[in-house]
Amino acid sequence: MNTVRGGYFGQILRVNLSTEEWVVERSSEGFLLQYIGGRGFGAKLVWDNLKAHNFMVDPLGEENLLVIAPGPLTGLYLPSSGKCSFVSLSPATGIYGDSNMGGVFGVELRQTGYDAVAITGKAEELSFLFIDNGDVSIIAAPELRGKGCLEAEGLIKQRLGDHSVHVAVIGVAGENLVSFACVNADWSRNAGRTGIGAVMGAKNLKAIVVRGSKDLPVYDLERLNQETCKAMSYIKNHKFFKLWQEQGLMCVIDYANNMGILPTHNFRDGAFVRSEAINGFTMESKFKIGDSACFACPMACGNICLVKDGKYAGTVTEGPEYESCAMLGSNLGVDKFPAILKANSLCDELGMDTISVGSLIGAVIEGYETGLLSLEDLDGEPIQWGDDEKIIRVIENIARREGIGEILAGGARKVLNHWPQLTPLLSHVKGLEQSAYDCRAAISMALAYATCDIGAHHTRAWTVAKELEDGQNWSLEEKATFVVYHQTIRPLFDMLGVCRLPWIELGLNEKHYENFYAAATGVELSLDDLMARSREVYDLTRLISVKRGVSRDDDQAPVRWLKDPVQTGMQAGKTIREDDFNEILSTYYRLRNWDDEGKPLPEIEKRFD
Amino acid sequence: MPKQLAVVPERCSGCKICEIVCSMSHFKVTNPKKSAIRVMVVYPHPVVRMPIVCSQCRVPKCEEGCPVDAIARRDGVVEIDRDLCISCLKCLKSCPFGAIFVHDDVEYPIKCDLCGGDPQCAKACPKNAIIFIPEHVLGQAQRLNNVLSYYHMKEIEYFERGEKKQIRYAEIGKEEI
Repeated sequence: MNTVRGGYFGQILRVNLSTEEWVVERSSEGFLLQYIGGRGFGAKLVWDNLKAHNFMVDPLGEENLLVIAPGPLTGLYLPSSGKCSFVSLSPATGIYGDSNMGGVFGVELRQTGYDAVAITGKAEELSFLFIDNGDVSIIAAPELRGKGCLEAEGLIKQRLGDHSVHVAVIGVAGENLVSFACVNADWSRNAGRTGIGAVMGAKNLKAIVVRGSKDLPVYDLERLNQETCKAMSYIKNHKFFKLWQEQGLMCVIDYANNMGILPTHNFRDGAFVRSEAINGFTMESKFKIGDSACFACPMACGNICLVKDGKYAGTVTEGPEYESCAMLGSNLGVDKFPAILKANSLCDELGMDTISVGSLIGAVIEGYETGLLSLEDLDGEPIQWGDDEKIIRVIENIARREGIGEILAGGARKVLNHWPQLTPLLSHVKGLEQSAYDCRAAISMALAYATCDIGAHHTRAWTVAKELEDGQNWSLEEKATFVVYHQTIRPLFDMLGVCRLPWIELGLNEKHYENFYAAATGVELSLDDLMARSREVYDLTRLISVKRGVSRDDDQAPVRWLKDPVQTGMQAGKTIREDDFNEILSTYYRLRNWDDEGKPLPEIEKRFD
Repeated sequence: MPKQLAVVPERCSGCKICEIVCSMSHFKVTNPKKSAIRVMVVYPHPVVRMPIVCSQCRVPKCEEGCPVDAIARRDGVVEIDRDLCISCLKCLKSCPFGAIFVHDDVEYPIKCDLCGGDPQCAKACPKNAIIFIPEHVLGQAQRLNNVLSYYHMKEIEYFERGEKKQIRYAEIGKEEI
């Protein structure tokens, strides 16, 4: 019954940039079944590579492996099937790191006939990798040095004489090994977090270019079509469908502000008095000029925005989405939407993660305001809340590693090594800066950040809304159980290669996905079976981190969560109690079958041989 | 009543669902590259997303460009006769819209056939950017726009239950030409 009859090409492309060799590796059926795809493939391949190097791998070294993996559902006719994972050891955290992007890149990559690409080594000079329907070439392109993402994309298309190729490219920040450099595709889609862009930069790999035209393998197209028609019709009839098309993730600004969890003034406040200047309605009525959707997505949550007048006139970008708008807006006290758009488009062009940028600059502004940083620390130029011109200069400085940017480019860990006095202000876990939901009113969210396998990011579990709405009386055990549930189902979407927003935002029944998976692969697995696979991958990413030195000490809450109450907004006065945190952490380890130090039990490791 | 596939680029989000359903209904595969419609995406100046699909022209340039007379318009659909087609791909270049496509695995040029009168792309488009409408409706929006923006119109303001309102009218026989 469990025979893979579709969904995969069954081959992985391995490229060594140092030797300029490439080989095609057949995947075993066991591998496909156990790891499913996307981040599952990535985790397993990164694990094998680490083992081969006795776990001594420098994230920016030649030996680090970068895996780009869509999933078995990527590109198929089902809601929002455009996701592609970028997996590697993160230069920001030193442990497992991944980030995924939507758009079309992953679909085109699959159409080249590979389920995943695994890249190691380092090119002699700045180059791009061209995967052309199964054919592979490494093309030296030193002329791309210093070029922004969009500019480089255009130059590559020109050089290849084909504007229909898809390009995943790094900007100046990636070349300069900024530890939160991202990968950008098709102008506006980013694999933002964990510094995958720096991994590419360290490999002298400016871009990965794909051109594919193969049929995607599907076992039962008719069944897939029927299931999709049901799902699409559910989505199109949802009461929030229209709002979603109009505002996308920007509608979360008002929600977060009302709930008191909008990062404001470096997470000091939980609400922003000028939030109406940066919310979804402002975006939609004054700046939006078009919708943008990832592959096969009816929701089209992307917004194309244009600044029509003022000093940022002419700025056009896809975005900002919620995280970017909060971290570059309210978190820095910026209440001018055009300035946020400018900062966002600059981060896209330079190739940097907007969350980390917003978090680090926020800490610097607050540090200066509270006297922890001197004017000298800031290269003699003061910076304050809402000073958009200075903020934009600092963003450029970071990407080019100039002045204060040299320090910030190292990410939270390096910044705190240099300025230990900022420890109470800069919230991060394992070196990854906290993303844009305040967690002090919702301990499950704090636990989610603390135990997220890439650092303080909401990608694995986003429990804050549910806890604030329904979970005030939940026991710590119930909260920890909810976090584990989220950390199991959400990464499943990344493994299947689809977007989770139809499920999390519009409540599309998750049972659809077992049918999607079965129709694509011919393998009948229940949702529980699929979640068991996802849970195993979580054990695996934890093992990677543990082998890289992570223990309970690294799952601790940052100072601000424990000591510094939220100052304004609905959650004013809230902090996490340290006892509660330690208790919920122990409960969490128990639920995961990890020991009290957060180590998976020894027998778990054998499953990944 | 003859109907045409019309495209409203302003509504298109670039999701490519039209391409997938086209490949599924014509070739029974999932492959956006095997479709008779293609979403062109241009950025950043200007940002345009536009599905390109055959207009079933009444005077088809592809027909004129075909050296073996394999292309002809029948019942409102411009068709390629596979018995005659030599797959020289001249039609790809002679179409002024680039609305005929080619794929390595497919022997003949790929061209929209309106799915026998029930175009799947228009049905599946989540943004109504592709619509299948009677030919005489084409241009209606522009005509109406033109009428409404007629500059000789006069405006008057009035109050109805305390609310300010506006109507526009054109005075008959007063304008000099």
